[in-house]
Amino acid sequence: MNPSPRLAIGIWFAFTLICISIIAGATFTADLSAFLPRSPAPAQQVLVEQLRNGVVSRLVLIGIEGDTPPALAQTSKHLAQQLRRQADFTSINNGENTGAQKDREFLWRNRYLLSAAVVPDHFSVSSLRKMLEENLQLLGSPASAMLQRILPNDPTRELLGLIEQLAGQSRPEMRHGVWFSRNGERALLVAQTRAAGFDIDAQEHALDLIRSNFSTATGNSAATGQKLLLTGPGVFAVSSRENIKGDAWRFSLIATALVAALLLALYRSPKILLLGLLPVASGALAGVAAVSLGFGSVHGITLAFGATLIGEGVDYAIYLFTRITPGETSRSTLTRIWPTLRLGVLTSICGFGVMLFADFPGLAQLGLFSITGLIVAAAVTRWVLPAMLPPGFVALEDSGIAAWLSALVSRAPAWRMPLIILSVCALLLLALRQEPLWNDNLGSLSPIPLSEQNLDGQLRADIGAPDVRYLIVAIADTQESALAASEKISTALNALVQQGALQGFDSPAAYLPSLAAQRSRQAAIPSRADLDNNLRQALRDLPYRPDLFAPFLADAETAQKQPLLDRNSLQQTSLALKLDSLLIKRNDGWAAMLPLRGVNDSDAVQREITRLKITPVVLLDLKRDSEQLFQTFRHEMVTYSLAGAAAIGLLLLVSLRSLRRVLDILAPLAAAVIITAAILVLSVGKLSLFHLIGLLLVVAVGSNYALFFDRQATSAQDLGRTLMSLLFANWCAVIGFGVLAFSQVPVLYAIGSAVGIGAILSLAFSAILIARARNESHDSS
Amino acid sequence: MRCLRAALLTIVLGLLSGNVAAQIVTEWGIAQLMQSLGQVKSARGKFVERKYLAILSTPLEFSGTLIYTAPDRLEKHILLPKPETLVLEQDRFTITNPTLQKSRTLTLTDYPVVQAFVESIRSTLAGDLQTLTRFYHVNLEGNSGQWRLSLTPREPAMQDVVRLIHISGSTNRIDRIEIIETQGDRSVMVITGIAP
Repeated sequence: MNPSPRLAIGIWFAFTLICISIIAGATFTADLSAFLPRSPAPAQQVLVEQLRNGVVSRLVLIGIEGDTPPALAQTSKHLAQQLRRQADFTSINNGENTGAQKDREFLWRNRYLLSAAVVPDHFSVSSLRKMLEENLQLLGSPASAMLQRILPNDPTRELLGLIEQLAGQSRPEMRHGVWFSRNGERALLVAQTRAAGFDIDAQEHALDLIRSNFSTATGNSAATGQKLLLTGPGVFAVSSRENIKGDAWRFSLIATALVAALLLALYRSPKILLLGLLPVASGALAGVAAVSLGFGSVHGITLAFGATLIGEGVDYAIYLFTRITPGETSRSTLTRIWPTLRLGVLTSICGFGVMLFADFPGLAQLGLFSITGLIVAAAVTRWVLPAMLPPGFVALEDSGIAAWLSALVSRAPAWRMPLIILSVCALLLLALRQEPLWNDNLGSLSPIPLSEQNLDGQLRADIGAPDVRYLIVAIADTQESALAASEKISTALNALVQQGALQGFDSPAAYLPSLAAQRSRQAAIPSRADLDNNLRQALRDLPYRPDLFAPFLADAETAQKQPLLDRNSLQQTSLALKLDSLLIKRNDGWAAMLPLRGVNDSDAVQREITRLKITPVVLLDLKRDSEQLFQTFRHEMVTYSLAGAAAIGLLLLVSLRSLRRVLDILAPLAAAVIITAAILVLSVGKLSLFHLIGLLLVVAVGSNYALFFDRQATSAQDLGRTLMSLLFANWCAVIGFGVLAFSQVPVLYAIGSAVGIGAILSLAFSAILIARARNESHDSS
Repeated sequence: MRCLRAALLTIVLGLLSGNVAAQIVTEWGIAQLMQSLGQVKSARGKFVERKYLAILSTPLEFSGTLIYTAPDRLEKHILLPKPETLVLEQDRFTITNPTLQKSRTLTLTDYPVVQAFVESIRSTLAGDLQTLTRFYHVNLEGNSGQWRLSLTPREPAMQDVVRLIHISGSTNRIDRIEIIETQGDRSVMVITGIAP
């Protein structure tokens, strides 16, 4: 059980070296999706992929505000012009007509291949006649000048149909030649980066370019008052990496410094301070190494969570040091407190262990990190520290504090009734609350600060980027079959638009029809002689000049033989960008996405889609699906948490062999959890999944205090020292978790604030409830 | 002597009347015209519009009703040959065509050329000289009893389409709008039966 000191130190040294070498080779990430649930459905997988590296992930929304509209427009044009020269961006759009010319040319040249209106009957006498009559009416409108230019080539108005279809998307307002928000206070630009959204270094470089070019464009932005606003997935990735990096360092350092200061004040010896930090440092190294081995990479948030390990792991050394009385060896002290300490470590592991089962890769990392860290910290306290302590080591002489604490605790049971009443009130508050207790919005889990989420929402609304809620995803083996599926879906959707089930939709086949559709359109064009004949009959008695439509006959003949369109045909147009976002090459096939607009009857859409009976097609309702996903995860986490709590109870029962004592220990923890939950609900409104984890950790951390209170003190002096060790251990835990409450990252501040509050309450409630219970058992024995 | 007196009187009266006339001419100008137009709160009238287009061998004829409500709503109800309604309100332009079963709403600022077209009529109706001169060089001929505004576009994009717009009227009524397009096309709208 007690190896020789030399062996213990040797093993520890070798272990630490191994950990360091593993960490030296580890990769560190700040991937935002680590704290989003893994989604099982393939259609949703497509979405998650898109969020990570698709076109959507490459968009940077830029707002310029704080000046008169003409000045803002000037800056917008200047900035766009500069950024268009940079290789970092594939496109810069601010509403100026720079790309529109190429788009129109593409549509014009390929109108007969692109237009879904081109069906076999399209060029019959009656159909042509109808079109020609309509044209006469359209010539009465203010658009007649434009119409006159295109009619000789395009009497069936394919170009107008295509433009109308593509213009269906709402676009920002135009002022002074560029995009503006509706209220005219903000000029808007959309930049697309060449690099994927998850390539944070490249994103950072692109953002720096935008900022520096903005400063150049405004000359001196402080003088004009113009302000640059940036949002988008890349912006989030960069800023949250900054936040996480900053938080990880800042909070670990602050927690270490505060704990060190506390220990120094307590022991008044730098040497003891270093020894006290030894278990934690070893634990942290082991934790990071374990995560690196287990997950292949270490998330920045895991490192930031290291602060909590300091709070919890330093306790073990405190329990040991504070409890060594003069004349006692460290080994005998350990033998005395080890059973309680071991039980405390085990209950903590039960709590942190629940995170291992979470369907968030990030949380599972935190779980593995904490468990490894705690085990190693406890082991180092048990076997390595005694080997390092000089004989006759006494960390703490007897002091007045212990006696004062003893006196305080002896009066604590008087608070029993008020505590019970308070707990009942808190329970009632939680149970009778009208509003939902849980925040089922996935955004609540996002590592992105709320202020940035709000800015994103605002700019998105300004730009008219529809907050896509409904999306049809079709998965196919080849590009051709994905496009063919899009065409079938489009036909069904067009009928639904007529019925008013939705307002409109976008489809990749609108930009690149399937080869089959292109061929059938070519086949629908009659021979030149037939078309000429049909046209002559259709023109009878209409006031068009003779031979006006000769260019149409020539264009139709060319279209019949023109090479079919493929993906490359769209290069140089802004339509290529659109197609890339709707038609996606995946590892094992293709996915076509059709975003829907203004859906009034999603059931009707669902029915039509089901009736098509083609390759896997899913209607996603992103709001509903993500909420459902979230609820599933919450139920899972609640189940796991209850299982964790049950495991802690069972562990206590097995160790203590007394149901009465187990209940005594759990009572203050339950009260602490309930009141902490009530405080959180009152302060933040709704609880997130991370708060739930935090509450479980309150039990895991608080059980240590309850256990030591429950332990019978051998003497008044022992009681005093126990209380002192608990108080300092508690402060360390509150420091470790409490600093995280100031983090910008939701997972960190939710857990930090929950455990920070809960730890203090656990200690106080243990003093109130368990001391009383112990007195009673004294009385009865 | 009588003759002399009569001659003098005639000259004096002539001078007087000439003076008076000159005074009226200097007082009546673009500002006065715009002011009197601006006082009209609502008006409706019948119109006949003929469009002479290069691609057609005979002119197109449309007729219907125009309704103006100050300061910025203008409705054009085409009844013949086929019904179509164009409604302009603030910067939204809605075209409803019952035959084609289509209704489209444009935001004027997105279509500068259409906006320039529309403002030539609407700003004149509203007596909004400021907006009018933003789009056009404005020239006025005639007197309050019979006047003619000539509008030449300022913006190159509009110059590509329109060469000149003539708006004629008497007092605070518009009774003729002629648009001469750059390509040689022309349209003439005659408005009759104007009532508040």
